[in-house]
Amino acid sequence: MKLLRLLAFLIMLSFVLVLTGCIENTSNDASSEEETEADTEVEEPETEEGEEVVNIGFSGPLSGAAAYYGERSLNGMKLAAEEINDGGGFDVNGQTYKFNLVPLDDKYLPNETASNAKRLVQENQTPIIYAPHSGGINAMQVFNEEDNFLIGAYTSEPAVTEAGNSLTVRIPPRYDVYVEPFTEYSMERFGEKLAALPTASQYGKDWAEELLPHWEEAGGEVVYDSSIDFSKETDFFTIVTNALENDPDVLFIGGPSEPTAKLAKQARELGFEGGFIVMDQAKLDEMRKVAEEDSYELFEGSVGVTPLVDSGYPGTDEFVEKYRNEYDEDPGSEAGFHYVSLYIFMEAMKEAGTVDDPEAIRSSMQAGLEQLPEDKQVYTIPEIGEDGGFRTETRIVAIEDGEVIAIEVDE
Amino acid sequence: MDILTQQLFNGLTIGSVYSLVALGLTLVYGILHIPNFAHGALYMLGAYVTLTSMLLWNFNYWLAIAISIVVVGLLGVLMERLVFNPLKNAPPIHDKIAAIGILLFLEALAQLVWGADYRTMSTPYGEVVNVFGTTLTMQRVLINVGAIVVMILLYLFLKKTFMGSTIIAMAQNRKGAHLVGINTNKVAMLTFLISGGLAAIAASLSAPINLVFPGMGHLVILKAFVIIILGGMGSVPGAILGGYILGFTESLGATYISNDYKDVIAFVLLIIILSFKPKGLFSKEGF
Repeated sequence: MKLLRLLAFLIMLSFVLVLTGCIENTSNDASSEEETEADTEVEEPETEEGEEVVNIGFSGPLSGAAAYYGERSLNGMKLAAEEINDGGGFDVNGQTYKFNLVPLDDKYLPNETASNAKRLVQENQTPIIYAPHSGGINAMQVFNEEDNFLIGAYTSEPAVTEAGNSLTVRIPPRYDVYVEPFTEYSMERFGEKLAALPTASQYGKDWAEELLPHWEEAGGEVVYDSSIDFSKETDFFTIVTNALENDPDVLFIGGPSEPTAKLAKQARELGFEGGFIVMDQAKLDEMRKVAEEDSYELFEGSVGVTPLVDSGYPGTDEFVEKYRNEYDEDPGSEAGFHYVSLYIFMEAMKEAGTVDDPEAIRSSMQAGLEQLPEDKQVYTIPEIGEDGGFRTETRIVAIEDGEVIAIEVDE
Repeated sequence: MDILTQQLFNGLTIGSVYSLVALGLTLVYGILHIPNFAHGALYMLGAYVTLTSMLLWNFNYWLAIAISIVVVGLLGVLMERLVFNPLKNAPPIHDKIAAIGILLFLEALAQLVWGADYRTMSTPYGEVVNVFGTTLTMQRVLINVGAIVVMILLYLFLKKTFMGSTIIAMAQNRKGAHLVGINTNKVAMLTFLISGGLAAIAASLSAPINLVFPGMGHLVILKAFVIIILGGMGSVPGAILGGYILGFTESLGATYISNDYKDVIAFVLLIIILSFKPKGLFSKEGF
């Protein structure tokens, strides 16, 4: 009996190993993203004599439903840190430093982010801690000025910089800049009836609260207003049927790219022919991968944020290529922003003449932005606002005749 | 488009998936009185095994499902042998803790093996069909028909075969079954095999209309527990009926009352049914 059990266990184990070994070889797009994903281990940099190490903290979802998002964010930082370290590190006041990333998993839970941050500061003396979700950032903002660390805030939630925290740097553009151009484009092309079906997260609700009043102000009508919990719904047909019953011209959708794409697909199956306003959390290029015909046809008439691969900033192409080589997939904006921001922090450290004084680093951010070499500009960020938010030019795209077309935005 | 027929169809689709998942759960509960929290993980693995065999060996969808049924079924048996069987004389709480442990283990394993990202399972049955103004897709028709076929087969197996009778006997009275010479160990393994197979079928049928990811089991497992409480713990017709009741309540509640409150509606219904039938719709032990 014992032997039988052992045998059964070994058979299962070998089966799992066979699967692990094989799936990487398939040419299918969906499965070629292996190995990179599960790998959240970060190697410590090799330091030569006289070189010092700066620890950079990261607290994001590395397990659970949002793990892929946390991992891609971290990948961008890893790529930047490896490049900097392989190039011999960087000089601050004649001393050479290298970056060491310390990633911790917070499962997307704000309370975990807070305890991770405490741990990072106490154990690793990290001057900067990144977090890719607004809940965790809010939790850190309670004590970051007191504990003296800078937050690398990857969220487009305007509230994180409006709170007046002096040690927060918001990396991506705030989402409310998109409301007006999205409304204008969709209303002009498709019509005035909007049905809102965003994700049921706090972020999705904030977005809807921003968009819907604006839509009505611009003369439109909101015919259906609800939300979808992507962590609870097996099927979206029910809710989409109800939304379409009101005959909308435009659907407002958003959330993680892949389920958002499924939602759009089901809307088309149910006969919807209008346009989509896609919340900035979802990226059109990632959505396309879910559409089985691998084209933008399904998303005709969508308006959304510019996918990184189509951005065309001076450093974008080089970064995209490097990222593809390293991780075998297209980078999203979370990877791009994390990559460029680590470079900006490095430049700011050089300008500030210190690696461990967050206040000095924060006040040298503008100088750091100006020092950023062009080939590293995955995004061109001309300035940082008083509130600590990076200001980039607003770029949006729409799908017209199956092609990604950049749309002019009046600033 | 006639919204009522469309929503009835939507409710039927979602109810079919719920019923299939709940069936596996209720079978195991009926025989062994274990609330198998890891059933959601079996569901998730079912989808991954099907997807992997389709992508890796270019197997036909149906062949991939067959492989998945076997693999996940055997995994269920393995679970019974390695975890639940050794615990059979332990206090009941140990089974529950072990089940949660297996759930966490399998989810972490899936993330390690297949990665955390969302994957799409594409089947040859994507086309949209319009019947009298109701939009169907072939895959959805397949879910409905598949579920009913599986339920009929399961019924015939339990009622008409000797092996099926041993399962029923054991559900009715474990000691009695043992006394008349039924090998309870074998029956327990068989039950886990069927339970895993049902999870694999449910997942393989429903994955094409959603996505495949390590957390996908959570979408259905909580609802499956509600269903088996509603239908009567351990009851097969209860699980089927409960699944469809929940499916229809969700779709019709979302249409005629409010989408935001559809879970509330489903749970209010649960409370009402339980106030009249505290042990569930089919509370009689056995089937």
